[in-house]
Amino acid sequence: MFKFVLKRIASAVGVVLALTVVLFILQKASNTNPVHAILGPNASAAAVKAETIKLGLNRPLLAQLFSYIGNLLQFNLGTSYRTRRPVSTDLAQYLPATVELALVALLIAVGLGLILGYISIKNGIPAKIFRGVLLVGASTPSYLISFAGLVLLYSHFHVLPATGEAGATQPFQGGFVIFDNLVNGNISGVWDGIVHVTLPALSIALVPAISIGRVFRSSLEATLRSDFVRTARSKGLSDQAVFLRHAIRNSIGPGLTMTGLQLGLMFAGVAVVEDIFAWPGIGYYTTESIPVSDFPAIAGVTLVLGVGYVFINALVDIAQSLADPRVKL
Amino acid sequence: MQFSTKQSSVVTRDDWNSVTERATTSSSVAKVEDYHVTFTRSGSPVHALRGVNLEVGESEIVALVGESGSGKSVLGLSMLGLLEKTSNTSVTGKVFLQDRDIALASAAEIRRLRREYLGAIFQDPMTSLNPTMRIGKQLGEVTGSKSESVELLQSVGIPEPERRMSAFPFELSGGLRQRVMIAMALAGRPKLIVADEPTTALDVTVQAQILDLIKMSRERFGTSFVLITHDLGVAAMVADRVVVMYGGEVVESGTTKDVLNSAKHPYTRALLASRVTLSGDRHRRIATMSGEAVDSRISVPGCAFEPRCPAAMEICNSTKPHLCQVEDLHDVSCLRYGSQVDDLRLSNGIDSTQMQIRSFTDGGELREGAAVQEIDSSASDAVGKREIMITANDVMVTFKVGSGGSRAMLRALRGASLQVGTGEAVAVVGESGSGKSTLLRAIAGLNTPSSGQIELRAGSKVQMVFQDSGASLTPWMTVEQLLDERLVATGVRDKHERQERILAASDSVGLYRQMLSAKAYQLSGGQRQRAALARSVVVPPEILLCDEPTSALDVSLAAVVLNLISNLRKSLGMTLIFVTHDLAVARVVADRIAVMYLGQFVEVGSTDQVLSDPTHPYTKALLSAVPDSGSTPILLNGDPASPLSVPSGCSFHPRCPSVVGSCSSTEQYLTISPASRGHLVACGVALGGQ
Amino acid sequence: MAVTEVYLRGQQAKLPGQLRIRSQMFKKVRGNTIMAALPLIVTALVLLAPLLAPHSPYTVAGPAFTPPGHGGFLLGSDSVGRDELSRVLYGMRASWLSALAVIASGLVVGVTIGTVAAVAGGWVDSLLMRFTDLFLSLPGPVLAIAVVAALGPSLLHTLIGVAIVWWPFYARIVRGEIRSLSARPHLEAAKMSGIGVMRRTLRHLLPGTFPALVVTASLDIGNLVLTLAGLSFLGLGSPAPSPELGAMSARNLTFLLQDYWTAVMPGIGILILALVGNISGDGLRGLMKDR
Repeated sequence: MFKFVLKRIASAVGVVLALTVVLFILQKASNTNPVHAILGPNASAAAVKAETIKLGLNRPLLAQLFSYIGNLLQFNLGTSYRTRRPVSTDLAQYLPATVELALVALLIAVGLGLILGYISIKNGIPAKIFRGVLLVGASTPSYLISFAGLVLLYSHFHVLPATGEAGATQPFQGGFVIFDNLVNGNISGVWDGIVHVTLPALSIALVPAISIGRVFRSSLEATLRSDFVRTARSKGLSDQAVFLRHAIRNSIGPGLTMTGLQLGLMFAGVAVVEDIFAWPGIGYYTTESIPVSDFPAIAGVTLVLGVGYVFINALVDIAQSLADPRVKL
Repeated sequence: MQFSTKQSSVVTRDDWNSVTERATTSSSVAKVEDYHVTFTRSGSPVHALRGVNLEVGESEIVALVGESGSGKSVLGLSMLGLLEKTSNTSVTGKVFLQDRDIALASAAEIRRLRREYLGAIFQDPMTSLNPTMRIGKQLGEVTGSKSESVELLQSVGIPEPERRMSAFPFELSGGLRQRVMIAMALAGRPKLIVADEPTTALDVTVQAQILDLIKMSRERFGTSFVLITHDLGVAAMVADRVVVMYGGEVVESGTTKDVLNSAKHPYTRALLASRVTLSGDRHRRIATMSGEAVDSRISVPGCAFEPRCPAAMEICNSTKPHLCQVEDLHDVSCLRYGSQVDDLRLSNGIDSTQMQIRSFTDGGELREGAAVQEIDSSASDAVGKREIMITANDVMVTFKVGSGGSRAMLRALRGASLQVGTGEAVAVVGESGSGKSTLLRAIAGLNTPSSGQIELRAGSKVQMVFQDSGASLTPWMTVEQLLDERLVATGVRDKHERQERILAASDSVGLYRQMLSAKAYQLSGGQRQRAALARSVVVPPEILLCDEPTSALDVSLAAVVLNLISNLRKSLGMTLIFVTHDLAVARVVADRIAVMYLGQFVEVGSTDQVLSDPTHPYTKALLSAVPDSGSTPILLNGDPASPLSVPSGCSFHPRCPSVVGSCSSTEQYLTISPASRGHLVACGVALGGQ
Repeated sequence: MAVTEVYLRGQQAKLPGQLRIRSQMFKKVRGNTIMAALPLIVTALVLLAPLLAPHSPYTVAGPAFTPPGHGGFLLGSDSVGRDELSRVLYGMRASWLSALAVIASGLVVGVTIGTVAAVAGGWVDSLLMRFTDLFLSLPGPVLAIAVVAALGPSLLHTLIGVAIVWWPFYARIVRGEIRSLSARPHLEAAKMSGIGVMRRTLRHLLPGTFPALVVTASLDIGNLVLTLAGLSFLGLGSPAPSPELGAMSARNLTFLLQDYWTAVMPGIGILILALVGNISGDGLRGLMKDR
């Protein structure tokens, strides 16, 4: 276990270092001059010169790279061109809402994925139709699902809200809404949070859920054909017992791997959905930053997500080893 | 035992009425009546079982013997009620368990039967246990209490049963896993256990232990067993009664003694004749059956064995024979026997020379080497007289296995030395983990020794025949491409010459020329092995290395391949090293036998020396464990030790029946036996005792 | 093949067993083949988009917000009166070809790196695979966003950003397949036949990676179409007037509740493309399983 933690930390450092280098190169290749971006187009030549020296842009490239890495180590991610605030401050404000959304989406994706996988191994016409629906679902862009939700559940049936993380009674936007209200024992606040998160989370979760479901289905099918399931049946266990005790645990591995993979791809969906639902998370922050080419902001988001991705994949590995004793951490 | 009354336990349709009567009164534990199973695969029917009748008496061990495609496993699954009832399966006939037809039983009732009445043991103990569940929990699903589980583990001979309860299957050896399977099958004291090839995946010495355990369980608990096996020898070791199946039908059934000693059905006889055993003239070619196993997609109007039968008559392809009693308790399904004979006015016997008339060499079309000559008797003599072809000197091969924390050293070869003379055939015999294949691969240059040397006579070419011939052919290339490629690589530039040599090579191994344009997956098992051999000899090598080329083949096919290798070796004058786990096979192919255990040779000598005067305790045990060797198997303790943790001193000492105190500390080296020249044994105790 | 002549049923039993080749059943294969071939058809169709589109995707052809089926607009007209169908068709062409381009680049880089790593082994393998793993553990779409933020929004930059993180999948697959093929006896048999390392790799190893690669690549068409659409939705693709499906949906989000088609039709275009990718992947998988 200790070795595993060390290995993961080493890999996280590697990823961050690689990302840093890539981002640094991108920054250098960028058309936007950071000095002009910060001072605006009308700055005087003296001011530009002073800012250039202040940012260290007159020093050799390698020295710049090292100071860039050094700043990162102190959580100094630079200043956003758009908000004029330190990127780390911005991220601290926007990250919790995304974490909340992503966690709910992840729960839905895994839960739904397992259910879909289980239903689709059945034989017969209904299962065939179901598999067809899955195929279409797996091919649907997340925003189209959001659109359908908006048109139906918001506009037509008025059951779910269209924007934001919480209703107007909760003036604060951003942060953990469900979690905070749960801690404070504010049940109506929790409910409000759940109502708001449902549509965006569903929009994000559906495509990964189907991917997980398909992988789970094929590993489940293989498991149900395996020798030890035959052994379990020869013991006289009921189908249900065979499934619950023997099949699930041995089929979950590929589904978990897929979950890890999907999380990486999920962020584009998160950003889109946060944009559509005005969800005050880092996806929203990113979409606001794109039109103005706010590179420090986007670089900060990239780094934070890179670390998060490594962390989540470590969790996936731990889950794998819990499911299968042959997998050693 | 029920069937010891004069009733025939396998019944004919003629006796139909009496059968149904008996169904209500008998105390048989299981009965199968006129049972047909047909699967639909890709739109066409596959006839897995074509009318089988079978009865299993109380505490009786019945062996179902047949080759692949005989339907024996489908029958076994049916008796467990495990045959998948999908739209692709059509089943007629009845299976009675506890005198109730399971076709009429509800799913819950069948589950109850499986829980209380039935047990199952499957072939591969590696895959038949749930890999993610502890042994104790898996056993707990069938036993009532933890103490009962521990008791069961104890009774199947698992050391430290308490500790094993919390082990996962991957932490146990193959032999122990199969014991766990048997413990699970025995839980709840079932009346009937169906064991489907329970020893096929195990080593010979472990096989002897498991078969012994099955016999013991029958004696202790009075359980009946249906033992499904491809090996008549295994059946002979434990079964009371043998039922031989071919093409989804029972062709012969009788007491083990009757079937083995006075087989009637031509198929049983051919099966017996093509078995490689420890008796008989080892220089003669092995009898073979013509053709290949019946295609179960075709529904045959007559006898399924007719196309391959050396004793076939005109009417055999149109008239279906059925099981008839020919002697007490001995039933045969052949138009030449039983009451059918009277109708046909045919004589009873076919002698065994007639059996071999239609072996494949006499088919006419094949230009295989002419009559086999007796091996030059000097061949079996010492190496000294010939030029040395291969010298392996103190070869060690060590592999690093695992990664990270679980890194370990696998010591596959721990100083193996061997000399092979030009034109000689040496069999390297050992169980899994003995390093026999590693040695072969080191000689082939596929493994690099970590120390020691391997020298081949200058300029000699080496070729290798692999165990899985199908896997040794590149799947997306045709046989012709593979042969051609080898010729090009050897420097044959002329396209015409290459073509000629490809045709010559395929003729020499009996591969039809049309097969040259086929890819591996389009060929049958026998054709694949021929194609692989053709590639090996298209540029004749001086040395041919064979890595268990017959162990994955059906008995009748193995015989064909063994004959072919012997012929090629003689016609091309090749030096042969043949790796096998089977001493009986070694006996027919080799001039000398070298027995390996845990990466070292423990006994080397001429075939006659090793087999008639086995000196090392391991060789003795190995020899006695060969099915139907005639002797009672010497049961060794445990499984072969793992090359990951080699015991100190003589590595065999933990399992050795004649172990003495010094064995655990003193390493043993091959020493010339004082009794006979050229016989080397690595056991001071055995040699000192002579 | 002359061999097929001996399949004749009646003769089969009489012929020596050697002549019997396992016959294959082609019934199921046909359906799978059609499914697998769908991408070829779609490629042809999108290339013909200029011929199929009734209007120019850029010019105003009628009144704004004409509902589908009215005024000669099969899918309606957009907020300025351009033909929605023509814009969707052109958009589909861009999406489809972009996805193929990323896959092609990923295959070239991935197969090369994976093959070299697996065949060379040792430290070359370790080095290349560490490198691959590093890229594999970068969060894909985010990096693409960073690339575009640095280089400025354009389709090419988006594709570069995605391509950077796409090849490692293929490198991993190819390496894994080659490693497992290398352990098979057929490679050792080739070695014993005296075949050199180049020919062994090209003739005895690489063709074996083909099934896994083809299936993955075809399933990736769907993944890529969706990922690229998401990025385009965020404004990463070509600037305004060009018909990009993700961006069209994003810009018309405000009209969703009144004139739904302006936002929904481009999304359906994406859905069709992704569906084709997924169906062909399933078909190919079926074909490979039968072999």
